[in-house]
Formats: sequence, structure tokens, C-alpha cells
Amino acid sequence: MDLSEKDEFSAEKRNPDNYDSVNNPSGDWRVSGSNPIDSYPSENLISAGPASCSPSQMMDSFGQTLWYDPTSVQAMGYGGFSVQNNGGNASSSSFRGNIDRSLEMGWNLPNLLPPKGNGLFLPNASSFLPPSMAQFPADSGFIERAARFSLFSGGNFSDMVNQPLGNPESIGLFLQRGGTMQGQCQSNELNVCEPHNDVSTVVKDPTVRSSEQAKPNVPGSGNVSEDTQSSGGNGRKGRETSSNTKKRKRNGQNSEAAQSHRSQQSEEEPDNNGDKKLNSEQSPNSPGNKTNSGKQQGKQSSDPPKDGYIHVRARRGQATNSHSLAERVRREKISERMKFLQDLVPGCNKVTGKAVMLDEIINYVQSLQRQVEFLSMKLATVNPQMDFNLEGLLAKDALQLRAGSSSTTTPFPPNMAMAYPPLPHGFMQQTLSSIGRTISSPFSSMNGGFKRQVCISDLAVCKVNNPRLTL
Amino acid sequence: MASADKLINTDVPEKDVFALHFLQSLSNLRTQSPLNSPNKSIDRVRKIKKAAYVSMARAAGGTSRLWSRALLRRAAKDDNKSVRFSRRKRKVTWKISSKRKRSNQRAPVVEEAAERLRNLVPGGGGMETSKLMEETAHYIKCLSMQVKVMQCLVDGLSQK
Repeated sequence: MDLSEKDEFSAEKRNPDNYDSVNNPSGDWRVSGSNPIDSYPSENLISAGPASCSPSQMMDSFGQTLWYDPTSVQAMGYGGFSVQNNGGNASSSSFRGNIDRSLEMGWNLPNLLPPKGNGLFLPNASSFLPPSMAQFPADSGFIERAARFSLFSGGNFSDMVNQPLGNPESIGLFLQRGGTMQGQCQSNELNVCEPHNDVSTVVKDPTVRSSEQAKPNVPGSGNVSEDTQSSGGNGRKGRETSSNTKKRKRNGQNSEAAQSHRSQQSEEEPDNNGDKKLNSEQSPNSPGNKTNSGKQQGKQSSDPPKDGYIHVRARRGQATNSHSLAERVRREKISERMKFLQDLVPGCNKVTGKAVMLDEIINYVQSLQRQVEFLSMKLATVNPQMDFNLEGLLAKDALQLRAGSSSTTTPFPPNMAMAYPPLPHGFMQQTLSSIGRTISSPFSSMNGGFKRQVCISDLAVCKVNNPRLTL
Repeated sequence: MASADKLINTDVPEKDVFALHFLQSLSNLRTQSPLNSPNKSIDRVRKIKKAAYVSMARAAGGTSRLWSRALLRRAAKDDNKSVRFSRRKRKVTWKISSKRKRSNQRAPVVEEAAERLRNLVPGGGGMETSKLMEETAHYIKCLSMQVKVMQCLVDGLSQK
């Protein structure tokens, strides 16, 4: 998995010429991905990688919360790479924009391109990757440094870039952390950048704000780039450290680490407003689940919800009261479910507005219940003796059900075999036996009786054989 | 008729399941009341209706759904029977709607509609609004399935 990740990013780095602008559609990324093959024929790793690797693969490998917008990440990568080629300073401004994007994503990889050019990096990384992955435990200071590092603007990056290459172990650490850091000079870069904290964060803030505004508003309860509500730059660091250490007591899985990494980045002002997070007081020590539930459509499946709480961040320009946060989460849940209901209820697509739609839903439920009542009345009148002959009914019903489900290709018995919940033993046994008896008796009265016989017998047989069908 | 929604699971079994359950319960009706021999049509209707709901609850998920559980409990209470519920580890959430005093902060439009829904959907009284809507979705699916089954049955019987 990490190899594939590396492939993708190496492919990114190999296309400096194609991407000067920051904004790249994802299609271009894929198209240009085939270019590296020509330039680096020796590199087998990305032979089919870029073309085949979709952003979704990247997403899966790194944990979904990291991937807010794959296109911008790719853009970032290319932009960062162009910075590299220009010596860093010339296009540091564009790089800063890229960095800010990366901040939102929590994605550091494109920023940490090695200064020595394309070719050197990949073979080293490929050799480093496999051994280094397993070796390095979670470095407690690492995430913190990596978090700080990701915040830094391009001005610092030039310093980082020029640092001599660090030990290859840093690669392994990075890889384990975010799975992406392939630059070799990262530890040095981080160390260099730590004294630059104050400067860089101050510089970062306005750009982060602007980039936040550019970002589309996620209809979710959490947003990574909620950092703009920071009051002070320096005070954060101490708190960030403490919060980082707390968060890192979790397992050091990649996804977890990446997630915590990103959440640490986002928490530049983590505990300034103490009640900004839901249940923050309940999980100071427990590694809370850092999924921002509204971040994408689905929750992270890889994260075990240890305490079941969902941590939310206040969005930009909204109240950070814990009550209002909870309220917002709840409202979003409700609206999500209303959308789901809208698909269910026929004729609700044109309706807009919660009130009208809810009325529609209520009317629909009422009408369904009335229909049930009406049909039961009809049944009572049709069959006044109430002698519901199960075998006969089943046979007839089988006819209708088969006609009804003829559009579907699934045969009759497997449907029933699959979907049966366990039932009390009692009467179905007698029903089965009665069905068995009727099977033996000829269904001569029915038209096309053989087919129906078969299906009913199959039904009975499958029920008898299937131990779960304790009907 | 399975839903592909990742967050909200509203999978509903196929029509055949509902059909079988309904027919079972109907045949059970016959064995139940040969003694009383209720000639009044209202009683019959009520019995059939109840059989329909109970079979629907069983077919739809047994005791794994809140509404079906409430339905079965209600039906069993009428018959003075007891329903066996499987023990499941459930997180107890203190979000009972009756306890909500800060009603002004919730959207009043949604809440009043939710009240009406709670009256309609079985077991809705103890649910929070978001959970209520999940249950409503599943309930609607099962109801429509049951209606289809009953329609088929009526058509089949009336054709004879």
C-alpha cells in the first residue's frame, strides 16, 4: 500500500513541467502521469501507477480524513515541485499558497521534496521503504514536528530544502506517520523550522484564512481549517504539544497517525476555547475519535470508535458554544436523514423545505397505514370463513410472486433462504410438513403446475435444509 | 429493495419474506379462533390487521429495529403474552425526547412534525428526532412491502 502511495507521489514529482499553475483538474493529473515513464524508464514502480492509481486509492491508503480534495493535493504537489526547481525562493509565494492548501489537507508529502532532484529520490525511497516501515515506532516528538512543519510557509522551506540530507530513518518515520513523507531531509527541516514557529504561524494565518474562504463550505460538522480563530501564536504551541502528546497515546497505525497528524494541524488553537470540541472534557486522556463526521460522506471505517464520541469543530464565523455545536451536528444529521426520506417518499423530489416535506412524509405514512387497514378489510370480506388455506394460498401467492419478481433474475427459493430471520419454531414446522404433503399431491388443477410445484418444493427443501430457517 | 446508503442501514427483505410471514400468521389465525368463531366482521378485520402488522414486524427485522420491537411488544401485551427480546449491547443515550426542556433551541418546525411522526410510527415516543427519521424510513419501506404483499394476496384470492 505504501509502495503504491510512493508511486503516485513520485509520479507527481516527475511532472514539474506540466504543472505550473496550482489548479489542476484531476484528469490532467492522470494524463500527465504517463509521462514519467518516458523520462525514467528504469523506474518500474510507476509504470502503470499514475495512470491507474486513482485519488480514491490514495485516499484509502492514507485514511479518508486526509483527503479532502485530491485535485488540490495534486496541484500542491506540482506547485511544490516547481518551487523546488526554481530554487525555492522564486516561487515561494505560490508555494505558500500550496502549503496552505496542504495544511487543510494535512498533507505534507509534496512539500518535502528532496533538493537533489527527481532521480535521486525515488530509488532511495524505494530502497528505504520496505525496511524502514516496520522498524520505527511512533515518535512522540515526530508528529508535533511534522505538524509544525506543515504549517510553514515557503520562506522557511528554502531553508529546509537546503539542509543536508538527514538519515534515511526519517523517511521511515514519515512513512509511518503519514505514509507519504519521502523527503530525506525532514528531520533536519523540522529541527530547523522549530525556531521559526512564531514567524511562520503568524505568516500562515492570513493565508490560511484566505484559503479557507476559498474552500467550499463542507456540510459537515467538522472542518479542518478552523484555525483562524487563534488568539495568539505562541501560546498555542505549548498547548498543542500537550494535546499532541495526549492524542498520540493511541496506537500508531498509519491511518490513526495520519488522522491525528491532521487533527493536530487543524488544532492550532485547540484548547483556547475549551468547549469548542464536543466532549472534550470527557476525553482529555482518552484518545478521542478524531473523525470529523461531516468531512466526507462516510465515517472512517478504519478508526475504531473508542469512546463513540464524535469530535466537532466549530466552523468559521460560527459560535463555538458547545451547545450550538451539538445543535449544529444534530441539525445536520436530521437534514441528512430527511434527504434520505425524500428519496423514499414518492413525489417528494420537487418539494423543497423541511416543513412541507415532513408533512408529505407524514401523509405518506398515514396513507400506507390506511392501505393496510383497507386491504385487511378486503381480505376479511374475500375470505369470510377465515380458513386461510396456507398451501393453497402459498401456491397462488407463489404464482403472483413469481410473476412479480420475474423482472429480477434471482430465483424464488434463494431469496427466501437468504433473507429469513429466525422465527419461533412452532407453527412453521407444521406448515412445512403440510407443504410437503401438498407437494406429493398433484397440482393438476393449476396451470403450468409443474413449475410451481418445483418452486414450492424448493422452498420447502431449502427451508428444511437450512438450519437457520427455523420457521 | 435494499438501500445502498452507507450511514443509514435500511435494508428490507424481499417480498417473499413478507409474504411468507403474513401467510403464516393468517394460518395461525385460523387455528387460533375456531372456538370463538367471531362472526363480526370488525373482529376479523382487526385480527387480520394485527396479523399483518405482526408479521411485518417479524419479517422486517424481528427485534433489531426499534419500531418492530415496539410493535411486537404492543401486540404481545394485547394478547397477554410476553415477547422475548435478545440481549444486545446497546449504548444507552440519554436523549429521550420527553426530557428535552430546551425546546426553543430545536427547530420548532421539525419538532412538531416529529411529534406527529412519533404518534404514527410505533415506538416513536422514546426516540430522538434523527433516530426517529431512520426508523421512519425503514418503516415506510416495510409498510410498502407489506401493502404489496397484501394486494397480491387479495388479487389472488379474489380471482378464484
